[in-house]
Amino acid sequence: MALDFQRYIGLFVSEAGDHLTALGRDLVALEQAVRAGGAEAQLRPLIDSIFRHAHSVKGMSASMELPAIAALAHKAEDLVDVFRGDAGRVEPACIDLLLTTGDALADMVQASGRNERPPADADLMKRLVDMARRLKAGLPLVQGPPTEPPPGPGRGAAPPAAAPPAEPAAEAPPAPPPAAAPAEPEPAAGPVQRLRLEVEIAPACPVPAVRAFLVVKKLSALGANLASAPAVEELKAGRLPDGRITVWMETAEPVERLKRALGQISDLGRVEIEVEAALAEPVAHAAAAHGAGSAAEPSRTVRVRTEILDGFVDAVGELLLATARIREVGRALPDQYRPPLDEGVDRLHAIVKDLHDKVMAVRMTPLATVTERLPRAARDVARKLGRQVEVEIQGSEIELDRAILEELADPLTHVLRNAVDHGIEAPHLRLLAGKPAAGRITVTARRDRDRVVVELSDDGQGMDTARLREAAVTRGTLSADQAAALTDREALLLACLPGLSTAEKVTDVSGRGVGLDAVKRTVEAVGGVLEIESAPGVGTRIVLRLPLTVAVQPVLLVGVGTEVLGLPISKVHGAAHVVYSTLDRSRGEPILPYDGELVPVYDLATLLGFTATGRDERAVVVAEVSDGRIGLAVDALLGQQEAVLKPLGTPLGAVSGLSAVTVMGNGRPVFILDVQRLLAA
Amino acid sequence: MAKRVLIVDDAIFMRNMIKDIFSGSGFEVVGEAANGLEAVEKYKELKPDLTTMDIVMPFKSGIEATREIIKADPRAVVVMCSALGQESLVMEAIEAGASDFIVKPFKSEDVLTVVKKVLGGV
Repeated sequence: MALDFQRYIGLFVSEAGDHLTALGRDLVALEQAVRAGGAEAQLRPLIDSIFRHAHSVKGMSASMELPAIAALAHKAEDLVDVFRGDAGRVEPACIDLLLTTGDALADMVQASGRNERPPADADLMKRLVDMARRLKAGLPLVQGPPTEPPPGPGRGAAPPAAAPPAEPAAEAPPAPPPAAAPAEPEPAAGPVQRLRLEVEIAPACPVPAVRAFLVVKKLSALGANLASAPAVEELKAGRLPDGRITVWMETAEPVERLKRALGQISDLGRVEIEVEAALAEPVAHAAAAHGAGSAAEPSRTVRVRTEILDGFVDAVGELLLATARIREVGRALPDQYRPPLDEGVDRLHAIVKDLHDKVMAVRMTPLATVTERLPRAARDVARKLGRQVEVEIQGSEIELDRAILEELADPLTHVLRNAVDHGIEAPHLRLLAGKPAAGRITVTARRDRDRVVVELSDDGQGMDTARLREAAVTRGTLSADQAAALTDREALLLACLPGLSTAEKVTDVSGRGVGLDAVKRTVEAVGGVLEIESAPGVGTRIVLRLPLTVAVQPVLLVGVGTEVLGLPISKVHGAAHVVYSTLDRSRGEPILPYDGELVPVYDLATLLGFTATGRDERAVVVAEVSDGRIGLAVDALLGQQEAVLKPLGTPLGAVSGLSAVTVMGNGRPVFILDVQRLLAA
Repeated sequence: MAKRVLIVDDAIFMRNMIKDIFSGSGFEVVGEAANGLEAVEKYKELKPDLTTMDIVMPFKSGIEATREIIKADPRAVVVMCSALGQESLVMEAIEAGASDFIVKPFKSEDVLTVVKKVLGGV
């Protein structure tokens, strides 16, 4: 009976990939801990975790009949096993080798997803075996490949690469249930009672939620579980906030018997059992015991392919648009038909909104999926450049929309590399400046109302605003006067101008001047803001303020000639109808008195390179840009709409001034404008 | 009479460690298995009072092995040896019929406490 492994390969690639990412993260953390002179007690959990990840990959790949992956993981596990015996043996060379192995494993796992079966790198296997042997024998570690033959079978455990045993026992007839009579008589079942059991989990228990789950499971075998608090789903997610579990159940078992059953579970504290009601009718006990508390039965967790989730968002977006379309069509109906239609549309809209919120909630993903690769990236850059750096990450449990996270992965890595390359000084310079040799980069994330703020700060040399001003003038972006007039905060943002780099030499790490510019664009494209703070000699802080979700945003639709365009409502301050020719002018440019100030007005058609319609009765939309408010003259205001924003692919993404596209109810695409960049263009 | 124990783990060092814990404490280790397949066979052959079961193992996981053992003998007492981070696997094993679990890295007294409790009644 051959298993159809193909069915599981997607899951395998995803789960093994998770383990290998975690393996890399823990290795980097271990290296930092070793360098910081960490005690055995600090290193131990990391080593155990590394071992476990290697072990899991080995086990999973063996189960998938991928012997090459299993064999390589096994060798890695063997090496880590040496550290488990003595954490003092960990050396940088070992970590390098294990990281290389992790990368090789990740490649092999990916290949298996494409139905390829690359062999394990024999040289890598040999180096792992050799290093483990040398460590065990207390020999010095050599650089480069070993010259001696690899040792004979080491610990003796046959690698899972060996052919699996022939037909497994699954074909054998199952053993008959034990004929022996139960060891003790079942106590007589009494009247059915509804009980409330409150069980404390010992504070020392390392996995309290699992203990609580065991309690619920044990009890469900003895009666009908009605409910538990926290619910089983919560326990499965690892949540047991109060350190106690409350179970309501109906059972005919005597309380003593329940107490005895709970007495068999370790790590429990106080147990309280309270009879809530004696029930006249016995419950269908046998059925209930097997159905094991259907009321409390959890909805199981599933992994869902991300394309399906994206499909949901698109579908919900279309629903929103279709709803808007029906509403619009309804406006043309005679008055007496409109109230019932409007009522129906309102209700539909509310339901679709609710569905939208739920779909968006499903897409929320912890920031950890992006941040966990940062320590590794920082380490690789630091090693290449001869720097030392420690990365600390806080708040990685904070959740963001998956679409934003995906956009964020590269920019964050880029900012981090920048910090190592341009921020953190070489160790001897740091020591001269009275700083510790290893630089420190802290990545923190926190919720701030409906935004998530991600900060990346380093304790490096900071940014030199004078040099940024100079570079901007040399490049011709600013005149000397303009550059001098900038505040320091504004001058720091010059680092985001395309092509402006003050790096003395371009490395393959950063310094090409495409970095921060791309980062800023990406952050703004998802509706976020980038800020820079820096103090020379003290360090730099890059702040990303991001929206929680991106996909649906309210937009204001405007007409320019025959074109329809969208402006994000978040940037729109207000609008006014004007007779264009009567607007006051300042130095020839029209200005609009608005809210006590004079706002410069730009003709949107001209900005976009359209032919001006020459209409005089027009509307002006007042929008917020970074240095105040501006007016955009348009031909018509077409109303507000919730739009599903889709990012622009190439080549449209490169067009300055467009941020996204949305599709209207009638199928017509509408571009969403990025006002800030439109003016800069 | 000493309780009879079957130890299932794919790592020899783990088996040795668990064996040492039991041998010094009045248990009789009657067998060892290095994977889930062996575990099911050895269980049927030896009918131990207690089985300690690693979760992640080649060929057949500890969860699957537990499920088969419980199917063959609903009164079997299987204690999972898990690691931190394997919580969801442990819960799966509990659903498969495991009686309790211990979390690696463990101290010998913790193992004995769990095992004695789990064998101590009903």
